[in-house]
Order: sequence, then C-alpha cells, then structure tokens
Amino acid sequence: MIELNELTAAAQKAFPADNLSPARDASWELVAEMGWLMIRLPEDDGGLGLDREASTAIHYEMGRVLATTPLIPAQLGLQAVIESQTLADRADWLERLSAGEYAPLHMLPAKVDIAADGTVSGTIGGVFDGDMAVAVVAKLPIGYALIPTDADGVELVERPIWDLSRRMFDLVLTGYKPDPALMLSDADGATAMHDALGPEAHLALAADCLGGASAALDMTVEYMKMRKQFERPIAMFQALKHRAADMKTKIVVAEALLWSRARDEQATRTQIAGAKALASDVFQFVTEEMIQLHGGIGLTEEHPCHLFMKRAMLNLQLCGSLDSLNETVGREALAAMA
Amino acid sequence: MTDNADLEALRSEVRSFLEAEKPHGWRDASRTQEDFVNTQRDWFAKLVKAGYAIPHWPKEYPGGGRSLAEQKVIYEELAKADCPRLLLSFVSTYHAFATLHECASEEQKAKYMPRILEGETWCQGFSEPGAGSDLAALKCKAVREVRDGKEVYVVNGQKVWSTMAQFADMCLLLVRTSSEGVKQAGITYLLMDMKTPGVSVSPIHQIQGDEEFAEIFFDNVEIPVEQRVGEEGEGWAVAQATLASERGLTLMELGYRMRGALGRVAELIRTHGHQEDRGILRDFGALVSEVDAVCAIADQFLDNRINGVERIGDASIVKNAYSRALRAYSKLGVRLGGMDEQYIAPITFGDLNTGNWMADFMNSYAWTIAGGSEEVQRNIIAERMLEMPREPKSWVL
Ligand SMILES: Cc1cc2nc3c(=O)[nH]c(=O)nc-3n(C[C@H](O)[C@H](O)[C@H](O)COP(=O)(O)OP(=O)(O)OC[C@H]3O[C@@H](n4cnc5c(N)ncnc54)[C@H](O)[C@@H]3O)c2cc1C
Repeated sequence: MIELNELTAAAQKAFPADNLSPARDASWELVAEMGWLMIRLPEDDGGLGLDREASTAIHYEMGRVLATTPLIPAQLGLQAVIESQTLADRADWLERLSAGEYAPLHMLPAKVDIAADGTVSGTIGGVFDGDMAVAVVAKLPIGYALIPTDADGVELVERPIWDLSRRMFDLVLTGYKPDPALMLSDADGATAMHDALGPEAHLALAADCLGGASAALDMTVEYMKMRKQFERPIAMFQALKHRAADMKTKIVVAEALLWSRARDEQATRTQIAGAKALASDVFQFVTEEMIQLHGGIGLTEEHPCHLFMKRAMLNLQLCGSLDSLNETVGREALAAMA
Repeated sequence: MTDNADLEALRSEVRSFLEAEKPHGWRDASRTQEDFVNTQRDWFAKLVKAGYAIPHWPKEYPGGGRSLAEQKVIYEELAKADCPRLLLSFVSTYHAFATLHECASEEQKAKYMPRILEGETWCQGFSEPGAGSDLAALKCKAVREVRDGKEVYVVNGQKVWSTMAQFADMCLLLVRTSSEGVKQAGITYLLMDMKTPGVSVSPIHQIQGDEEFAEIFFDNVEIPVEQRVGEEGEGWAVAQATLASERGLTLMELGYRMRGALGRVAELIRTHGHQEDRGILRDFGALVSEVDAVCAIADQFLDNRINGVERIGDASIVKNAYSRALRAYSKLGVRLGGMDEQYIAPITFGDLNTGNWMADFMNSYAWTIAGGSEEVQRNIIAERMLEMPREPKSWVL
C-alpha cells in the first residue's frame, strides 16, 4: 500500500509549486509515468488499485499547480470502462488507456437526438483536450458509449474558454452511428453508470478546487507580506489580514469536508455533491479576494491571479453547477428529514 | 476504535433512554428563571445517572471515557430528540472540568469533580468592564493577607458577562495580584465559592429578553489561598486551559447538535409550503453542507488534539466556522418563519433552539462575541497561522 504522504510528496516533486500550468503534453507523459492514469484501476486489471483518498490527493496537487493535463476526465473515462458490463474489448481498452491513450468523460451535458435509423446528432459538451482524445466517453440516450474521435459523423470543435489552463471541445455528432461493440452500458445501465461516476467526478473536482484555492491563498499571503504601502507591509492592515483569515478558514473547513467524504465509504452521492458545491464556492471566493488583494497587478496578464480566478469560475460549472448541486442537497435533506 | 456495530448499539441505547426519559414540554417549563433552573437540574441529573452527561471526561468518572465516535452519537441523538442543552452545567462540565483536570491539585480535583456530577454549577469570572478582548488588562484586585490566622486573598472589583453566575455555586476567577511587569504576569487563578460574604450578583437583561449573564461585584471577599490553581502570578497560563476547552471540545457537541437540529429548518420549509421553492432548497442545501463541514472540521480538530498535532489557530478556525454556520442557520429560520417570527414569543431560557427563531438568531451572537470574538480569532489565524506581521504595539492618544 502506497502511503498518502508519499503520494503527495511525489506529486509535489513532479509538479513543483513554482511552475504553474506546466506544458500539457510533457505533463501527460509524466502523469502516465507516475502511474496516475491507472491510480484507481484495480490491481487485478493491472492498475495501482488505490482508493478515493489517494486519487483525491493527486487531484488536489494537480489543482495547486493549475495542471493543464486532463487527468480528471481521463480518470473518469477509465472508470467508465472499468464499470462497464457490456464493452466487448474491455481488457484491451483498459490496457490502452493505462498506457497513455486518452478517452475522456465529457463534463458538461450532452444535447443529442436519436433519429429513427438509430443515428445520433447533436453536441456533447465539456470534452477537455479533445485534440488528444482517441475516443470520448459520452452519455447518450441509449446508454454510455465510447465514441471514437475519428469515426464518421464525429467532429471535435474547440470552444475557446477564459480558463487558460485547460482546452475545451465540443464533440459534434452528425448522423453518427453508434458502434454496438463500443457501448459501455445500455439505457437502463446508464443510471447506475452515472451514479458511479458522479461522486468520482465531484471528489476530483472538489480536490482540484481546494488545491487551487490553497495555492491562491499562499501566493496572496506572500504578496501581502512583501508589498509595502504607507511604509508598512499591507499584511499589517487588519482590514486585509482579516480577509486572509477568512480565506484560510473557508479553505480548511471545506477541506475537512472533502477528506471526510473521500474516506467515508458510506458517503452518499448527494453528500459528495455537497462537498463539490462547497469547494467550488470557496475556490471562487478565494480567487476573487486574491485579485482584489493584489491591486492593479492582479488585473494584469503577466501576474497569475487571473489564471486561478478563471479556473475557479469554470470549475463552478463542471459536473453540476453550484445552484443545481445545492438544490439537490437541499431536496434530499428535506426528504430525509420527513 | 469503536466499530460500527458498537456505535449503532449505543445509538439505540441512547434512543430508548430518550424515549423513556426525555423531558417533554421543557420549553413551556422554562419560561421563568426558576423553572428553567429546575428543568436543567433534573435533566442533568438524569443524564448523569444514565451516563450521557460527561462523555468527554476521562473514564475514571462514571459516564466518562467515551471515544470521539461515541460522543458524536450521543450529541447527535440528544439534538435529534430535541432535548434541552445543558446550559446551566456548561461551564462546570467543560470549563471547570478542563481547568481542574489539567491544572488543579489532586485535593482540588478530588473535592470538586464529584460535586460537579452531583449538580454543583460553576460560572466563569474572567471579563471585566475594561477587559474584554484584551482580557489580560483585567483589574479585579486581590491582596494576600492573613485574616483570623488564615492566609487569604482579599478581592475587590467587578466582573461582567458571567454566564449563569446568578445560579452558580462556584466561580473560576481571574484576579490581579500584581501590576508589575507585563500585564499577563500579575494574574492569579482562584476557585471561589459564590456564597462567600462580599460577593453580589446582578443579572443583566439581554436583547432576547432573558438574563443569561450577570455582573459580579466583590467587596472585600476573602478567598483562602488553598483555592488558588497554579502559582500566584501564573493564572494566565491556567486560564488558557479554560479558554481552550471552550474553543475546542464544546464545538464538537455544538456542531453535531446543530446537525441534529437541521430538521427544524426542514419542518419550517414544509410548514410554509416551500418544498418546491428552488431558491429555498438551494439555501437549505448550502446550509446542510456547511453544517456537515463544521462537523468535519470539529472532528478533525479533536483527532489532531488527541494525536498531539494541534496547531496554533486550529481552534480559532473551528470557532469561526461554527459561529458563522450558527448565524446562517438561525437567520434562515427567521427568514422562512416569516411574520411568525416577528411577534414576541414567550421566552424560553437558555437554549439555541428555543422554538423561536428570532430569539435563536439573537442568541447566535453569543458565539461570534463570547470566548474571544470572531475578530480576535481572525487576528490569531492571520498572525499566528499565516504569520502576518502584527500591528505596531503602542498607540498615542
Ligand atoms: C453570551 C456571552 C456570554 C459570555 N459569558 C462569559 C462568561 O461566562 N465569563 C466571562 O468572563 N466572559 C463572558 N463573556 C464575555 C466575552 O468573553 C466578551 O464579551 C468578549 O471577550 C468580548 O469582549 P467585549 O464584550 O468587552 O468586547 P470588546 O473587546 O470591547 O470588543 C468590541 C468589538 O471590537 C472588536 N475588537 C476588540 N479588540 C480587537 C482587536 N484587537 N482586533 C480586532 N477587533 C477587535 C471585537 O471583536 C468587537 O467586535 C460572554 C459574552 C457573551 C456575549
């Protein structure tokens, strides 16, 4: 069993804090080399077989450096294959994905229609780094499917986003004919698949948010101690130090919830969704404060503040928005407290 | 570690105890101070007998020695069953316990600990009119003298904001025995019997209509030197044990109680027909996760304390997280309750779940002001955890 702190130490060594958003392709190779593509693949299938806590720790570190490499969608895509009861060449796919081929799960809704002849048309949103993908794991009305990016009727269209640390694509289908051999579930099995992937996505994103938030806080605190106005470091002004204290408090509290959920095998889907909602809210709050506390420099492209803020704003939307997740948590809690 | 089956067994044990014994109609029975005190005393005695009053004490005391996991189960079930909080014995079971346990002599422990379980209550005499956040500026003066052949401290001065002092048998008292050197150095810690001649107590009327705290006046009060905890002039260090108990241990109970009490918000949502109001569901959902996070940080805090890896400022984070969540919780209640909450309701003494959300909302300030205000905690977090520079010390008028 790999110790958590060893994993964290290795991640910090491979992705040092002072190198924000390291180049994507080199990072992807490094990530593959470290075995993180297989982190949650059971040992029987040739993976590391580590638990949620371990993958959460990795995503936290990747969040800290605003990683460009799409480890979260890759892990989710692989987990869809692991979960699949129907995929014909499951073993083959597991091997290919572990070896570094990329089949991401999309992280925004799919809006597609099925024609009478069974072909699919429409848009599948939130495909990160589609240019690297050999296939996309997509939720279709007929079930989850692997859609090869080079198949007929399949096109990847980049949608430039404010977040400079990631690249996002739409998978546009025009009369695409799903390959039965590449189905990951049928329509009935899609709910179970969705329920299995949701908590994984939410834990990973929550970790990404809080890693990012803690790096943002560190940088802000350092700047506040260094920047002098009125013959003193601005960190001496209580009006400002209290804001830093609140940033710290919110981060630590959201982290406590994240780790308790990651460790709790009995945590429900909704409880984990709540941890993502809270973490994304905190990330947004912290990055907003980060810019304000940096003053003018925080609004410049040369300073990294904006990179954190833009990532935070995008994370708020991924795999369920803050509002929709909070509503789900509220609805379920209300029902449970009948 | 207690395993899940044991915990579930404890849970059903607590539940059946509560079914049989829990005080019904305690809110109506707490409309006057006397009634409140009586309900509190009865309930405390029942909990002591059942072994649920002091789960956080060590196991040499009956009902003590519970694991953290067991404590959580007990607090959660007490809250879910809507039992009154043990406000009257709050200071005795937390502050006095922690102070005695960590700093007192064996004689003092043997004398006072059992009496707490028999129902003796304590108050905390720290704050003064001129010493609030700046507690070490306290002036209540004690002079050591021999009177009637006995060595005593003769105390003169005033304390304020002392919770439940009007009902207390004993007082954790901070006095100034010297004004030389730094202000922390001349402070001494005493255990005082509230019936000592020269002590007078005057309750203070609060905004929610009750009288939770009081002023204490000292007129040549003689306190035997054996009642001192720690050495003379070293009371500041002892006071830290008292304050730490307030910022740490209590918050796990309170966090889990708030979680158990979320059902009261759910009830409001249903009563007012908001089940399909998405805005309200969102706010409720955000509150549920916030309260869960408070429980998680309180858990983590206590685990760290037990494992000896607590850091400076950790308790401040837990306190600010709890007090803000409590404010949000009671404010949502006021909002959802609509006009119902704007009519003055009969007072229920001494609880955060009085049945009237406006009262609870006003009460929630207790946690952002008492025990070191929210702002003071922020100073600690910024200066001691984030290592930001302190403000220049001196200031000239
Ligand atoms: C419900 C309740 C119960 C209490 N029970 C007890 C008790 O049993 N025993 C007891 O001894 N005391 C008790 N207290 C007193 C409590 O400890 C004090 O009220 C508290 O320490 C604040 O002191 P103060 O009221 O004098 O406010 P002040 O210290 O005058 O503060 C006024 C405002 O200034 C802010 N402030 C002060 N100093 C700073 C600073 N350095 N930086 C930034 N902001 C600052 C405060 O945060 C606050 O907002 C209780 C208080 C309450 C509300």
